[in-house]
Amino acid sequence: MEALEGLLTGFQIAFSFHGILFVLIGVVVGTLIGMIPGLGPITAIAVMIPVIYGMDPTLALLMMAGVYYGAAYGGAASSILLNAPGVSEAVATTFDGYPMAQQGKAGKALAIAAISSFVGGTVGVILLTFFAPTLAKVAVSFGPPEYFMLMLMGLTAISSLSEGSTIRALISATVGFMFATIGIDAQTGTPRFTFDSPHLTEGIDFLVVALGLFALAEVCSLILNRKERLTDQKNIGSLHLTKKELHEMKGPMGRQSILGFLIGVLPGAGGTIASFLGYLTEKRIAKNSDEFGKGSVKGVAAPETANNGSSTGAFVPLLSLGIPGSGTTAVMLGALIVLGIQPGPMLYQQHPDVFWGVIASMYIGNIFLLILNLPLIPYISKILKIPRPLLISLVIVFCIIGVYGISFNTFDLYLLLGFGVLGYLMRLVSFPAAPFILAFILGGMMEQSLRQSLTISNGSLMIFATRPVALTILILSILSLLFPYFQNRWQKRNRIRQGL
Amino acid sequence: MGNGADVSHRFHLLYLGWWMKVLKTTNQKIALFLIVLSIVYLILSFRLPPFAYVPVDSDVVPISLGFLLLFLSVLLFFKKDRESEEGQSNRAIPKQEILILVAVLLFILLYIFLLERVGFILVTTCFIFVCSWFLGYKKWVINAVVSVLTPILIYYLFTSFLQIELPQGVLPI
Repeated sequence: MEALEGLLTGFQIAFSFHGILFVLIGVVVGTLIGMIPGLGPITAIAVMIPVIYGMDPTLALLMMAGVYYGAAYGGAASSILLNAPGVSEAVATTFDGYPMAQQGKAGKALAIAAISSFVGGTVGVILLTFFAPTLAKVAVSFGPPEYFMLMLMGLTAISSLSEGSTIRALISATVGFMFATIGIDAQTGTPRFTFDSPHLTEGIDFLVVALGLFALAEVCSLILNRKERLTDQKNIGSLHLTKKELHEMKGPMGRQSILGFLIGVLPGAGGTIASFLGYLTEKRIAKNSDEFGKGSVKGVAAPETANNGSSTGAFVPLLSLGIPGSGTTAVMLGALIVLGIQPGPMLYQQHPDVFWGVIASMYIGNIFLLILNLPLIPYISKILKIPRPLLISLVIVFCIIGVYGISFNTFDLYLLLGFGVLGYLMRLVSFPAAPFILAFILGGMMEQSLRQSLTISNGSLMIFATRPVALTILILSILSLLFPYFQNRWQKRNRIRQGL
Repeated sequence: MGNGADVSHRFHLLYLGWWMKVLKTTNQKIALFLIVLSIVYLILSFRLPPFAYVPVDSDVVPISLGFLLLFLSVLLFFKKDRESEEGQSNRAIPKQEILILVAVLLFILLYIFLLERVGFILVTTCFIFVCSWFLGYKKWVINAVVSVLTPILIYYLFTSFLQIELPQGVLPI
């Protein structure tokens, strides 16, 4: 019942005039940026950071959360209309969304996406309401060793679950961590790797890394694909869904909202895995599974529900432990720290108004998104018609303003460009960027908790083995690293059996 | 199994062999670069000045990271894996396109260089117009309107709403 009480206080904040206004701004901006091909939640959050600078923290957090799940909604539009998923979370939506659009049923596909996003998001928030405080209560007893291990598990999990090779992902994470060590060491005051540059003494701002690795690297891909003829849907068709179609969506929406949420809670797994898994499980259990891939209603509903469920689920570790489990929530954490909010069990205890305000605002935000998206989608999706060259120039300008707006020096802009080049080169040789950004943002916290742990134990690493919770998490992290190895062997054996 | 299947099987093996040969070299090239990087990082870490009054000094984490990267790079060096096809097709970029990427990079460098010297509005207007035109947007009237209006709008929003000063530069505003 405590959760309901908390939620009530939360609604008082979220239902204030300013609360509603900023949630609305957040979800609209999030949807718009999320729709632009290539730009996902990470870029959306990052470019909004200068805007929230100096704002009231609670309202800013409400807005940023809106940007975050709004972007998860918006991703579907370019998948369905252009067959060009903006981010990997939206890839599974193209499988059936684009065929539907080709059949002249783009409006239906967009409506299905909006409704299932709403259900996924809302069920996710309901589960979040009960999960987050419970976890926060457990986490109060956690000390530095447990926190260190939790963050380590986040990194190993994201590395073993990311696309491509685990070694590459681990290298990404290690290099990301290395960049986090630049600057004055907080404990001893020793300048590390600053090369006597005054610009580096405070370390590199996470915004520079996030916008460089994600937005600018994507600009390079956009430049290369700028001439791509995008088959554009002139007529979106009716948004109206028949009773039969609505009935068909029920099953996938019910299952995938819960499954997606649980995947989102897990460290390392995020919207991409949730949406693919959602699509595949629904395809497997469907009676009419041959319809999948040809414009099936379920094929659009499943990944969209799962994606939005998981993006809400990812808020559980972020809010209650203060530890992000994905690249996107890591950038979100960075934004919270800019606001002066340190999420975690202490936030729940000392600032329950902020904690519950955010959760309550997510109920409202999801309703806004549904109301906005259903009638307005045909108009909002006009943003996809911006000519590519113009879009590219504008995205570059937004990245530059985003960084300049909080650092006010051109040194960071050169760094931004450097990370853009690095991000693009990493793509070329298949090194994932998400472990990099997660390690970069967690790096400082991990080092701090490691050193605190070792101070407690007088330098003995045994502290991680003698505390049961820390040891359990350590074992889980090691297991998560072995997972791809066994998966590989299993796949190989299957391949041999199939005669390949 | 017929003869046809046999041939296709052999072809498949050849194909696999070709993949591995190409990829092994890219893996090794990247690994070599990373090994050098980790050694440089380790040298810098070992040279960090010691601080006597803490149990865990500031060089512990960097040194561990350096060795970790060294270890992972060696693993990568000896790893023979098939890379995703996407990565391969990504890398096959025509020379002309690389030149375009480099040109845009230079535009951005120039933009950053001039930003504080000439001012946000002027430089941004020029950048949006030139960059869009260069990338193939030939409707110059629309381009000009967007290039002029966007920076003015952003400048106004930032300075009066968000109280964030953008470089004013030579324009008397």
